[in-house]
Amino acid sequence: MHILSIKSLNFKNKIFYKDVNIEKGQIVFLRGASGSGKSTLLRLINATLPLEEGTILYNNKDIREIDTITLRREIILAGQSVYLFPGTIKDNFKRYHEYRESQVPSDEVIRSLLDTSCIDFDIDTVCNNFSGGERQRVFISIALSFKPRVLLLDEPTSALDNATADRLMSNLVTHCKQNYMTMIIVSHDQTITEKYAEVTIDIGEGVK
Amino acid sequence: MSGAASISLVRFIIIYLLLLIVIAIMKKSKINQTKLLLVASIRMTLQLIIAGFILTYIFEHPHPVFTVLYLASMITFAIHRVLSRNKELNTSFKIVIGFSLAFSGLGIVAYFVMAVVNQSIFYPQYTIPLSGMIIGNAMTGVNLGVKTFLESISAEKPRIEALINFGAKPKDILLPFVNQSLETALLPTLNNMVGMGIVSLPGMMTGQILSGTIPTTAILYQISIMIAICTVVCLSVFGSLYLGYRTLYNERNQFLF
Repeated sequence: MHILSIKSLNFKNKIFYKDVNIEKGQIVFLRGASGSGKSTLLRLINATLPLEEGTILYNNKDIREIDTITLRREIILAGQSVYLFPGTIKDNFKRYHEYRESQVPSDEVIRSLLDTSCIDFDIDTVCNNFSGGERQRVFISIALSFKPRVLLLDEPTSALDNATADRLMSNLVTHCKQNYMTMIIVSHDQTITEKYAEVTIDIGEGVK
Repeated sequence: MSGAASISLVRFIIIYLLLLIVIAIMKKSKINQTKLLLVASIRMTLQLIIAGFILTYIFEHPHPVFTVLYLASMITFAIHRVLSRNKELNTSFKIVIGFSLAFSGLGIVAYFVMAVVNQSIFYPQYTIPLSGMIIGNAMTGVNLGVKTFLESISAEKPRIEALINFGAKPKDILLPFVNQSLETALLPTLNNMVGMGIVSLPGMMTGQILSGTIPTTAILYQISIMIAICTVVCLSVFGSLYLGYRTLYNERNQFLF
């Protein structure tokens, strides 16, 4: 069964998407020029943008028939604009889980997720002075702590050096496989895409 | 003591001489607002002269229609001022602000005039000046509250986006901004109350004392008006933001800004 199916989808008659089926547990990369509609597609999938024409099926159900909050608690989008609350890493896990009305993970789980995201800091470290790349990775580890069925990542390696980017991707793929998670990643990084993509979707080409 | 000593017109002109000091300092500090100062002074003078004539007429012919018209135009002006300073608001938000200002303003004016002063709401001598103070402060409060709210949600866009993408409810995301803005809008009034009577004798009290009211009566009015102002600011800002923030997302929990 496909976890996501995209059919005759377009956004405001400006961006047209090819029909695509995504299988459960797949690692999918979206490629395309800036402004081709990659981030828009992620936002259509998690229903933070209104879907006007075409269909997106999630587990064979039209996402328009699914409660948006329920949907967004299963399909997590870690977007390009990273936000961390002032305070420690642990405070951030707490704040975000409070907002989602979900159980805050144990310190042990937080540590292991930070490890997955290549963050070596202790959970009581204050985030305020973190670099862009560090913030991005803490943000991703928070996204992982929500145990998403589908994880949407928008340029997760944009602020990282090549070595860290590679290590992060490798860890994320392992984490995904262990947890039967589907991952859809927008990336400009050619090397990463070629190395880790099981499926690559080109956005902005094949416009009818 | 009966009535303020009336100022002769010639002596009244002398007060304008003080503006020369302002102009001199502005010139020295290279503040290019001499023109604004002149326009402001002239506008103030003309507007008050007109208001003086209108009020004299209304007080001599106290017909309910005049009071109602005065109230209506005051509220319209207040709503217009707030909306013209916050143009980016959507239509429903604007309607909410209009109703909040009108209802809380009229409600508090009615309570003050009818219950506290024990006069008819149509009696212009109380209703007009009191509603001016009450609605004017409500306008300033709503303006500050709405401005703070819009600025903070625009400054905190990454936080709002992260939360919506992580499955938080729009209501939970926006309410902290509503509360914070309400607090910001209330603080000037509260601070004003703290300093009252020590730092300054407030305008209404000064006016009453000058016109011969004994200070003990004047303070009763002053205390009442301060509490009324505090309440009207709180109510109108709360109404505007608490009902208004819901216009920022649709039934699919998608933000519309």
